[in-house]
Amino acid sequence: MTAQEWRLLLTGDMSAFDNMALDEAILRCVVAGTSPSTLRFYGWKPSAVSIGYFQGIEQEVDLDMCRQKGVDVIRRLTGGGAVFHEHGSEITYSLAVKDDYPGIPKKVLDSYALLCGGLVAGFRRLGLDAEFKPINDILVNGKKISGNAQTRRFGGILQHGTLLCDVNPPLMFSLLKVPNEKIRDKLIAGVEERVTSIRREMGTVDHDAVIAAMCAGFAEVLDIRFSPGTVSDEELALLERVKEERYANPTWNFKR
Amino acid sequence: MPTQPGTSNADVRCGDYKAIGGKLLRVRMTVTEDNPPVIQTLRITGDFFMHPEEAIEDLEQLLTGAPLEETVLRECVQTFFAGDVQVVGADVDDFVTALLKAG
Repeated sequence: MTAQEWRLLLTGDMSAFDNMALDEAILRCVVAGTSPSTLRFYGWKPSAVSIGYFQGIEQEVDLDMCRQKGVDVIRRLTGGGAVFHEHGSEITYSLAVKDDYPGIPKKVLDSYALLCGGLVAGFRRLGLDAEFKPINDILVNGKKISGNAQTRRFGGILQHGTLLCDVNPPLMFSLLKVPNEKIRDKLIAGVEERVTSIRREMGTVDHDAVIAAMCAGFAEVLDIRFSPGTVSDEELALLERVKEERYANPTWNFKR
Repeated sequence: MPTQPGTSNADVRCGDYKAIGGKLLRVRMTVTEDNPPVIQTLRITGDFFMHPEEAIEDLEQLLTGAPLEETVLRECVQTFFAGDVQVVGADVDDFVTALLKAG
């Protein structure tokens, strides 16, 4: 059997609103059959905080501080926790596929194991000792290097996640709410201890090499191959629509 | 969070509970002054996963009007979990514990 061909999209740095809207637009077109199954890599400009679908924006984020520092704030379509996406410090991926795609488990937990397995294989290709840590994390040398989140809707699966290139816990905690000021330093120290980055593990960050390794990892675990592609006109039109309806819309971002 | 008694007929109560699965459940509710108190409004937030996501509103609605009693709350949450929903990172016990902790 020949390997299924997926589209590879490299969309570079975009705003949080464009990024999250494009992920949804791609998912909708993949489900509609007008776009092939897709793996996309991207960055964030300006830096942004994304919160999980179920989180309270004011509970989690210091909105004044974000405004002061020019950091956008956005609610994701996916659950999970608040993430600080620093410009230049993270490679983000998203993967969109129909929910009846052969070999992808119906159980969300099992599908995390499969899809995160692609990233684990990618990190190993980079020479790093990576492992999947349920529910949705990837560790290198016992420390978190990638967080992932999934939604299933419209008849498809969207999984997106971070590949940490650099970490900046003090900046991150200046943007997130902490239960009380007394434990801020402790939280920062905890993240320093539990989280690592590609730079910390490899001494350097070669974006192209990381992306190539992750593609090879996904190709290996899903028995697929990638063909570089572009965002379609339909996806671009949808991006604008869902950005207005959802991601750039306070009703969506402040709904919890 | 304790609230000032007698200032209004709706008490605001909040509580955070870290589920065994590692995810945080944050409950904020208003309750009546009845004994036991009855949930008037409810918001469950946190970093858990639920598929489909919009189902969280069904759970909140199901629990609204329920008395703050473990057996009743457990029945509501169990009914919800038995439906066409996948919750990841927290189970029935976690939700019940979080509700009771807030209440």
